[in-house]
Amino acid sequence: MTDAAATTQNVGGARSLLYHVILCAVSLVMLYPLLWMLASSFKPDDEIFGNASLWPDSFTIDAYIRGWSGLTVSFGTFFWNSLVIAVLSVIGNVISCSLAAYAFARLKFPLKNFWFALMLGTLMLPYHVTLIPQYVLFLNLDWVNTFLPLVVPKFLAADAFFIFLLYQFFRGIPRELDEAAIIDGAGPWRIFWSVMLPLSVPALATAAIFTFIWTWDDFFGPLIYLNDASQYTVQLGLRTFVDSTGKSDWSALFAMSVVALIPVLLFFGIFQRLLIEGIATTGLKG
Amino acid sequence: MTTTAQIPLTISEPEKRSRRRGSLSRTLVSYSFLAPWLIGFLGLTLGPTLASLYLSFTNFDLLQDPQFIGLANYQRIVTNDVKFWHSMQVTFTYVVMAVPLKLAFALGLAMVLNRGIAGLPLYRALFYLPSLLGASVAIAVLWRQLFAKDGLANVALGLFGIEGPSWISDPNYSLYTLVLLSVWQFGSPMIIFLAGLRQIPPDVYEAANIDGANKVQQFFKITLPLLTPVVFFNGIVQTIDAFKAFTPAFIISEGTGGPIDSTLFYTLYLYQEGFAYFRMGYASALAWILLIIIASFTAFSFLTSRYWVHYND
Repeated sequence: MTDAAATTQNVGGARSLLYHVILCAVSLVMLYPLLWMLASSFKPDDEIFGNASLWPDSFTIDAYIRGWSGLTVSFGTFFWNSLVIAVLSVIGNVISCSLAAYAFARLKFPLKNFWFALMLGTLMLPYHVTLIPQYVLFLNLDWVNTFLPLVVPKFLAADAFFIFLLYQFFRGIPRELDEAAIIDGAGPWRIFWSVMLPLSVPALATAAIFTFIWTWDDFFGPLIYLNDASQYTVQLGLRTFVDSTGKSDWSALFAMSVVALIPVLLFFGIFQRLLIEGIATTGLKG
Repeated sequence: MTTTAQIPLTISEPEKRSRRRGSLSRTLVSYSFLAPWLIGFLGLTLGPTLASLYLSFTNFDLLQDPQFIGLANYQRIVTNDVKFWHSMQVTFTYVVMAVPLKLAFALGLAMVLNRGIAGLPLYRALFYLPSLLGASVAIAVLWRQLFAKDGLANVALGLFGIEGPSWISDPNYSLYTLVLLSVWQFGSPMIIFLAGLRQIPPDVYEAANIDGANKVQQFFKITLPLLTPVVFFNGIVQTIDAFKAFTPAFIISEGTGGPIDSTLFYTLYLYQEGFAYFRMGYASALAWILLIIIASFTAFSFLTSRYWVHYND
């Protein structure tokens, strides 16, 4: 190895160390607040403010007990409500979006391009435009203060994002597979069910996970449609908590915030590769 | 007679009919796949969009039937609504600050990560985490504490001997805490930038090195031009998203947009008009103005894109 080459390599090593220092510093600054919130949820109240330490001097789970039953309705109910809405939304989105995506990706029918263009158009439409008439519609159907306004739209493929995601994925599946199935006498439903869906598990999983997380985090929908505390989702429960006891009981508020984040963190821990690939390939806003 | 002659050159009438029936049934099958989306589109998107356009020309409080009042809502919004202009100013300030900062962070870190760094998946995942959590109420709650008078941010500043203000409750600073919250979520555009950087062939840089181009020249002459489609995409998605921001402002200001309307995002104002005061016609007009702003922005971006977005084909 010549001297020059050796020098370049050393510079490379120093530079790569510098990059790691930068990346670690950024990660630390970004994640410190989250870790601190976790730590604070185990601290007694007077230890939280003005204290940046990540280790509680006196460790206590009181805040979780206080927070869990801090409102007239327990967080267990909020959790159950959020779970019901999120699971139904996942089922609805996966079924309805994959059906529409299959039609756009594989089938020929009149007005296809017209509908496809409109579907893409809805990706840009701010939901505020449909908000008020939808509210009036659901009010007239007597659906306000039930889960229906939050769940039924998912069964009608209202999240065009996922149609697009699955459409992209279906188009990547070789057509020879459909054609082989057609020769075997399979119709569109058979092809959809036994060729496309089994091959699309990663895309379906991505759609399912994002639907779960977005529904879990959704605040605006429940805020508008759910009035009764027994119907509240975790996000609404948390907000009520802020408004009522929150300002005096930070540790309990943090404890419930941590609890509210747990499902999302779990999904992140288990499926982060799928999530990141989903964003990289389709540009989902994540 | 040859065998080919037996194949009829014209399609017989019954055959035609059965083919037509075949294509009709194929259409029906196709539409059966499309049906859920189509019902949803007509009933929950197109219908309501047109209905809200109509409502925007009316006075409507849910209790009585909408009364047609022509352009009065729009007229009042533009000429006689201080809150509207104020919320516009807040929202535009937010968009103009948050989107470029967020994209700059995303691009900068994507470029560092693209250097073949060991541990890339771990860093990528850590940076992405805030994007996934950012929209939740829990994070807004955390933000409120971080930037309180005796919050974590001021404890950190205190280490440098700086006494920070009460960020959240000071109208001069409250909006910036929300900008920071948005920048904190740079992870998802970063992942998209990273995917874009991977598409740039390394031999372009090798050629530039041989020609003696330095790193800065390489960034402006190679990386950035080749990445413009991704910048374009991220820019549009993030801008539209920023216009629609709601939850953090709602939680941090307890639904008021305060202090002194300093965080009165457009969507928050719309929500107040529609669901706190039940001025549904007025709120519909506000929604249509938002739609027009977003549509003009998108159209403008697409129209100008051919002057600055380089597609590689």
